[in-house]
Amino acid sequence: MIQCQWCQAQNQPGTTSCQTCGAPLDERNKVSDSGWREAPRLRDMTEFRFSGSTCQVEGELVPVAEINLHPQDALYFEHHVLLWKDETVPLSSMNTGGGLKRSIGGMPHIVTVASGPGRIAFSRNAPGEMVVLPLHPGMELDVREHAFLLASHTIQYSFIRIKGLVNLLHGGNGMYMDRFVTAGYPGMLILHGNGDVLERMLRPGEKILVEPGGFLYKDSTVQMSAVQMPLKTGLLRHGMYLAEMTGPGRVGIQSMYVHHHAD
Amino acid sequence: MNTYICRYCRQPSDPGSPTCPLCGAPVDIRSVVSDSGWVEQPPIRDMARLQLGQSHCQVAGTTVPAAEFTLAPEDWIYFSHHVLLWTEPQTRLTNMPMKGAWNRKMAGLPLIMVEARGPGHLALSDNHAGEIVALPMQHGQQIWVREHRFLAATGNIKYDWYPSDVWYETGQDSDDREMHYPMGRYGDVFGAQAAPGLLLLHAPGNVFIRDLRQGETLLIQPSSLLYRDVTVRMALHLEYPRNQGLSFWRSSWSYRSIWVRLWGPGRVAVQSVYEPAEDTEAIRRHSYATTHRW
Repeated sequence: MIQCQWCQAQNQPGTTSCQTCGAPLDERNKVSDSGWREAPRLRDMTEFRFSGSTCQVEGELVPVAEINLHPQDALYFEHHVLLWKDETVPLSSMNTGGGLKRSIGGMPHIVTVASGPGRIAFSRNAPGEMVVLPLHPGMELDVREHAFLLASHTIQYSFIRIKGLVNLLHGGNGMYMDRFVTAGYPGMLILHGNGDVLERMLRPGEKILVEPGGFLYKDSTVQMSAVQMPLKTGLLRHGMYLAEMTGPGRVGIQSMYVHHHAD
Repeated sequence: MNTYICRYCRQPSDPGSPTCPLCGAPVDIRSVVSDSGWVEQPPIRDMARLQLGQSHCQVAGTTVPAAEFTLAPEDWIYFSHHVLLWTEPQTRLTNMPMKGAWNRKMAGLPLIMVEARGPGHLALSDNHAGEIVALPMQHGQQIWVREHRFLAATGNIKYDWYPSDVWYETGQDSDDREMHYPMGRYGDVFGAQAAPGLLLLHAPGNVFIRDLRQGETLLIQPSSLLYRDVTVRMALHLEYPRNQGLSFWRSSWSYRSIWVRLWGPGRVAVQSVYEPAEDTEAIRRHSYATTHRW
């Protein structure tokens, strides 16, 4: 058996891409000298399975996730990432709660649910890559707003407020993050990262400072707070803040972002 | 070790390495040259390392590549604060004083540069799909770079900025007059001082380079110019197509193309992503320009 180095799933000998996450199995990991690992670039037309459904990744510059939904499966997404679907695929809405708070935070009020059987496809509108994160039971993952592409219905969805006034005013991550939790069943979470995506595993207590706009996801065990740097920016010489990530857990970043204090 | 001259950075390099240790260009590829003589700058390979003093830079990613620096204790780099992607807490970051804050603010240029001193790691990235271009510079060498394309430079490279000599003004009345700077209001000039250094740029899209002979000229889209040797001169060029009677709603004086004319000798580089010049009112005055009417 071949173990996938991205999601750790076991694959039959001879397979060239992971059946669980689509990562190429015949390429070496790309890890920088300081320990950042590139998320695997999914090859055009790569196919992988989750539950009874399949996902095929099309394109490489702004990749599309085309899902063939099993009759017993469903998935949810923000409605503006829907690229096309079979007419017969029913759509419904999921109440996320906190309507006004989400509105103030710039997040969509409604998360849309698509149920099988049928085909449906998703993409976001920026050059980048798809990050496939199969979640085992008992996992919690925090994702920056507007970065998630789709999640299978076995994953619980909520959102959390980024705590602390300093975070709200200077952190640059917006006011809320999406939180995805698996309870008794595994699930599939797919994100879209702008540019290239890099991941690093932080040891307990290990810290890294990240431009808030570059933050993409983290395990919920990673603590995030805004710290002021000894730098002054802009004509008014205001302070510069970075997001301090403290382990243990994974941190994912994207290399293309809108800088939150780019003057 | 056999040495050879890297065809992209023009520096003695190591043919035994898969990539040039000075500029990151692949060694084991054939040059891609268009029929008209543009040489395609090959993207720096994922995870390629560039040597800079006792430190090195590793390029990670291919769509929007990030430059990850491993800085030795005695080395330092500088960059605009808005390209900082991440840093280790122990890397020392300080402000680098800049002259002309008000003019830079008016031109949309970053007001401060940040110095990062080793030991430590940090990474920089710009926010466009494109390429990182590494330019190793020898003592006394100077390069002009279009504004906003600078990513980072080693501490021994001097940075200065000058007003662009390419501009035009539109509008008839004093109320609606508007200045246009198709190459940006200012241009950056980098020069290696006492020792060789490394200059990193980020270019949206793909990059093509060309060597102009003495007196050879070329017309390009102003915002596509990425860098040029300071020996290459440039000026505005206005081209007015023949009026076929279709542009009755506008004066033939406003139906034109805005170019920059480059004169050799020297090396020039263009990027394939650019912002076309605005098609607005007739030009009432402009910087020195050549003109052609069809």
